[in-house]
Amino acid sequence: MYKLILKMAWKNSFIRLSRTLLVIIMIAVSMSMMLGIQGIYDGMVNNMVDKNKRSDSGDISIFAKDYRVNRDLIYRVKNAHEIKDEIQKMDGVEAVALRLRAEGLLSTARKSSFALVIGIDLKEEERFGKFSEFLKEGAIDLQKQGAIIGIELAKTLKVRVGSKVIFSTQDGSGEINSIALYIRAIVQTTNIALDNSAIFIDIDQLHKFLGTASTEATQIAVRGDGLYDKLKAKYPNLDVKSFLELQPMIKQMQDLMVIFNSVTFFIVMSVVFVGIFGVMYVSILDRIREFGIMLSVGMHYKYIRLQIFFEALFVGLIGYLSGAVLGAVILIYLKNHGIDLSSFSDALEMWGYESTIHGTIKISYFTTTFASIITASILSILIPLRKIKKLNPIEVIKADK
Amino acid sequence: MFKLALKNTLFYKGRSIATAILTFVSTMLFILFISLQDGSHNSMLENSLKIYTGAIEIYRKDYRDVGGNEYLIEDAKAITDKLAKIDAIEAFSTRYETYGLFSSKEYSAASMVAGIEPNKEKVLSSLGSALKEGRFLDENIGNCIYMGAELVKKLKLGIDDEVAFVGGASDDSFAADIFKLCGVFKTGLFEFDSSASFVSRSYLDELMHAKNKASYITIKLKNINDAEKVNSEIIKILGDKELESLTWKTLMKSMVEAMEIDAIFGYISLSLFLVVIFFVIMIYGFINISSRIKEFGVLRSIGLSKKNIFLLLFYEIFILSTISVILATPIAAYICYYYHINPVVIEGIADMYKDYGVVSDEIPFNFDIFTIFWNVTIVYMLNFLSILYPYLYINSFKPIEATRHV
Repeated sequence: MYKLILKMAWKNSFIRLSRTLLVIIMIAVSMSMMLGIQGIYDGMVNNMVDKNKRSDSGDISIFAKDYRVNRDLIYRVKNAHEIKDEIQKMDGVEAVALRLRAEGLLSTARKSSFALVIGIDLKEEERFGKFSEFLKEGAIDLQKQGAIIGIELAKTLKVRVGSKVIFSTQDGSGEINSIALYIRAIVQTTNIALDNSAIFIDIDQLHKFLGTASTEATQIAVRGDGLYDKLKAKYPNLDVKSFLELQPMIKQMQDLMVIFNSVTFFIVMSVVFVGIFGVMYVSILDRIREFGIMLSVGMHYKYIRLQIFFEALFVGLIGYLSGAVLGAVILIYLKNHGIDLSSFSDALEMWGYESTIHGTIKISYFTTTFASIITASILSILIPLRKIKKLNPIEVIKADK
Repeated sequence: MFKLALKNTLFYKGRSIATAILTFVSTMLFILFISLQDGSHNSMLENSLKIYTGAIEIYRKDYRDVGGNEYLIEDAKAITDKLAKIDAIEAFSTRYETYGLFSSKEYSAASMVAGIEPNKEKVLSSLGSALKEGRFLDENIGNCIYMGAELVKKLKLGIDDEVAFVGGASDDSFAADIFKLCGVFKTGLFEFDSSASFVSRSYLDELMHAKNKASYITIKLKNINDAEKVNSEIIKILGDKELESLTWKTLMKSMVEAMEIDAIFGYISLSLFLVVIFFVIMIYGFINISSRIKEFGVLRSIGLSKKNIFLLLFYEIFILSTISVILATPIAAYICYYYHINPVVIEGIADMYKDYGVVSDEIPFNFDIFTIFWNVTIVYMLNFLSILYPYLYINSFKPIEATRHV
């Protein structure tokens, strides 16, 4: 019996082929567009989160108390190396990097700009965030007063690889001091703060220049999961901050993206529901005499209900599968090739994005869409089913078409 | 034919209501979305233009690309005399900009120092009105400095405190002086507030040997929409190939591009809604047509042409679209107008997005009749497009075949 119902449902689903195809196309097009949009928006934010973690804050950053408020060299972590060794021994720690920062004036012979000098250990940064992947021009090398400059700062000062720059700042003892640096590379971290103002030099050289002890640092960045509470408890006298505490704007961006995607999803699915409902309703009304006859020859209502349920399911499922295939193709393309917006590169770089924006793929895109489309398909038959339930078979058979 | 279409729309209530509601929703969504998008973009641009950047700025060639003292404007007065003759210009002023290190008793910070003409700046920019503490500059205020709030915080200064400055003069010599902090400004533009300070030109010119020199000349127009036209006039009147006159579109290229990208992504999101709604309207139209094949067969058999059938379908969708648009447009336009006058306020948004140049918590809508007109036109066009497939479907039947259709 069930086999027959399934067979009838399948055939009836395509009895009005154009109508069914229109619904399938509607589901497929709207679903694939929605997946593409979600993928690209999530990709933009994920890319920003990833690059920010790798280039700067990690999953957790530790500072001396008051450093983040005053941004002054006097607030530095004195026993940074010791703390680094302790953290490295903890479970779940992937990498730790020490950094020393000082704000000052970066000048060429023609231009000057506010800048942030950051002392780094290249090997450590490579382990921490694959620093070499940020390279845009030149070679990653900090030897012999070499420096690596952020892309926007390089544009502001009109410097190239090989240019000489002078960095002036107040050193650890309060005296104004200057150092000549040679640009070896230009990097794009897509972290606005770093791209706009950072110049990276070797941490030992910066210690020497600023007159600070080599065991000190202004930031201890940590990569690893589930460490926040442990580190906060272990170092109560230091300022332990999670990535999202340090980047509230990214947190808000993520929240906004979730709200935007949810609202879009809800609106699109509601409209899709209206479309499926219209087709299912008319499809059932068209065959009202047929259902009357089926009831009058003794077929139980539950079998008719099952048949209509399968019809809706087939249409929804085929629409979903077409949309999923089309959506997957779009998402794979966006992930591998991205959207090339290099004609807007100035603006994108200013806003911390790469000129080619890559999408992301999450299984949840497909599962939530599956649940929504199947729900919309099933809900769309509730009203037509009520109509059939109230049918008087004799009256329906007698009625004119 | 119109009468018949009207009767059909009243007879097939289900299709008519669904089409009208969906058209109403898409019209509202389209008008409000574009208004919000344009409004927030205009607001960002206007705020940035108000703060410091001019509608037009005149530079000596290569100053922006190469920089340095050899690319300063040497005879600023000769240019300003010419600018005074152009009617469309509301105000103009020369600025001399340099960079240096400021040191308070304990702290140091790098900053841009600009020599400005205070009385002219009151008209040209919002520097004067951004005063937070102390007082704004005047022409003969001497060694007074007007500093951004974030920079003052960094240097831990108070009003009337002294701050030492070391920088380079216009003749490439060292320039050093002690300034007195007279005023603190806060524009909301984080980077600007943390790296800019101003001194009266009459004082800075002496210190920097910059008399009659300028980094550039900034211009405010009576009507910013005339920027391109006035710029051409300026280029003509200056007649100097060593000078370049640039409008805000070039000066703020990154921001203009950023708005364009934001608009592209906005249109992509909006198109998703419109495409889905288009499909549903088409499906309802198609279902309606499918149930009327016999009727169309009869109409064709009694002599109506294909053109008449198209006209009938066209009138039906026209009536439904017009009813929805007439209802939706005034409501949407009123909402746009209301929020154009009383912008939406999202507390903390400026602070959160300070790195992106957002300086205000207010997000105004844009109210522009032309924009509303083209939004409505697109909704109409999409609705008209939705009858094409049903029309082709109905035409695939021969009249006799259609009259027998079950």
